[in-house]
Amino acid sequence: MRPMTSEEHFDAIIIGAGASGLGAAYTLAKYGFNVLVIERGERVGSKNVFGGRIYSHVFEKVIDGFNREAPIERWVRKERLTLMDDNDALTLELSVGNDEYRNSFTAYLSKFLRWLSKKAEENGAFILTGTKVDKVLIENNKVSGVLAGGDVFKADVVIDAEGVNPILARDLGFRDDWKPHEVAIGVKEVIKLPKEVIEDRLNLGDDEGVAQLFIGYPTKYLPGGGFLYTNKDSVTIGVVVRLEHAIRNRLPVYDIVEIFKRHPYVHSLLKGGSVIEYSAHLVPEVPMGNLDQLYGDGFLIVGDAAGFVLNTGIIIRGVDLAFWSGVLAAETVKKAHDEGKYTKEALSYYESLLRNSFIIKELQAYNKANAVLNNNTIYNNYVKSILGFVKDIYTVDDNVKKMLGTMLNSLHRNNLTLVTAMKDLITVLLNL
Amino acid sequence: MSNEYLSIEERLGLNSYIIDKEPHIKVNYEICKNCVEKPCTYVCPARLYTVDEYGNVHFNYEGCLECGTCRIACPHGAVDWNYPKGGKGIHYQFS
Ligand SMILES: Cc1cc2nc3c(=O)[nH]c(=O)nc-3n(C[C@H](O)[C@H](O)[C@H](O)COP(=O)(O)OP(=O)(O)OC[C@H]3O[C@@H](n4cnc5c(N)ncnc54)[C@H](O)[C@@H]3O)c2cc1C
Repeated sequence: MRPMTSEEHFDAIIIGAGASGLGAAYTLAKYGFNVLVIERGERVGSKNVFGGRIYSHVFEKVIDGFNREAPIERWVRKERLTLMDDNDALTLELSVGNDEYRNSFTAYLSKFLRWLSKKAEENGAFILTGTKVDKVLIENNKVSGVLAGGDVFKADVVIDAEGVNPILARDLGFRDDWKPHEVAIGVKEVIKLPKEVIEDRLNLGDDEGVAQLFIGYPTKYLPGGGFLYTNKDSVTIGVVVRLEHAIRNRLPVYDIVEIFKRHPYVHSLLKGGSVIEYSAHLVPEVPMGNLDQLYGDGFLIVGDAAGFVLNTGIIIRGVDLAFWSGVLAAETVKKAHDEGKYTKEALSYYESLLRNSFIIKELQAYNKANAVLNNNTIYNNYVKSILGFVKDIYTVDDNVKKMLGTMLNSLHRNNLTLVTAMKDLITVLLNL
Repeated sequence: MSNEYLSIEERLGLNSYIIDKEPHIKVNYEICKNCVEKPCTYVCPARLYTVDEYGNVHFNYEGCLECGTCRIACPHGAVDWNYPKGGKGIHYQFS
């Protein structure tokens, strides 16, 4: 990196070196733009937290040789969904036999972002770490640069990739801060275990990984879930729960992963392992209200700061959405540059790119499901009655068990009836 | 060494931090005095908000994971929340 004088002018400044900021930086630098990324972490990746897996589609599209070069831990070829009560667990597994199947992979986000930042630097982007942007500067009603670490940096356009705590966008008046029902809190531990132990216990091949989600017990039967991902020689385990539910139910968030680890099912997977890191991060659960608030004169918002995360209960995706929104912001800046203006109107191209992309299509498709899935009954009564039913069926004793009767019993034990169950099932199916 | 079950203090002790001299989060304890719910005391994933025997809230910024939960959870706006200065604070390596 070259030394910087204050008041230097850039084509574009990007706030934050997460997947979204680096997607924008990589693309703009490739087009020959003079780009500066400002990251508050002492090094790239030192402030970022995710669950454990990344969908590769967008990276393959943008970065040549991605699959060969990226710091990929394992390719996910096993998907597991586990219903869990206080003692038992019921798992549904998809195991993909084709060992060429490469849809998503596990990774350390810190390492992955560091690699991405190297790729952006190879394209010519400047990345300034250890520096926090304190303020976005406005001149003549247009964003003109930033104030960071006491220095002023000017640019034609500023891309806000600050992540889930949208402090700068809030102070600029672009958006409100989150409310407790709009975010979830995610807490996780990374646990070191020998490679062979992980492969034996989780039934995995050499470069093969598992992504497992758990509902019920990990969140004390509140909306949200537990997750487990395998790296080469570590396992990531964590819990995500909506903040409003954590508050209302006085959940001890600081111990929630430890309590999850004590479940007999999890205990036997992780025994003998040592914790190497403990982290926490918020997850946006609803996108920012109107898409036309995501840009203004000389300003664009991308990634988590815009609320681009898809959390369907069985899948959580943010890294690919973040990266792609950064790429789309970069395309917008290129077009605006070609036209010679960075007005809100010129940058509205970002909105049309977003609308035509998988980001908005998937977020909208999921919007209705979101309301249905934020329902305690699913995580409590249904998890317990399905588990109870299957356990009853497999338990041999003096009672004769007919399927329907056993199911009805289990539903009733959990304050449900067949009619409400059918109704709820239809509602869920109609909205997913 | 195996460290299967760890207290929150032990877990924070495994993380790397570059600690600033000044706190990046400031709590207005006057407001906390009248707060009944005190959600910060259980939703902070680092358990940095505690209550003493007289019911006073105490906050220690040093183990902060920089998640932002306390700012959003506080029902009375008592938390003046900022990230630490550039280069300071939590330093994740495996997350
Ligand atoms: C527990 C959990 C599990 C998840 N699981 C998954 C998963 O398995 N798969 C998946 O795809 N997604 C997952 N997500 C979502 C995913 O992590 C995010 O959507 C994605 O990382 C967001 O990228 P971003 O670039 O928008 O934000 P971030 O990665 O947060 O980047 C923002 C950057 O900006 C910097 N910054 C902030 N403010 C300033 C400032 N003022 N000055 C300078 N720099 C600043 C920060 O230090 C940070 O590096 C998960 C999230 C959580 C919390």
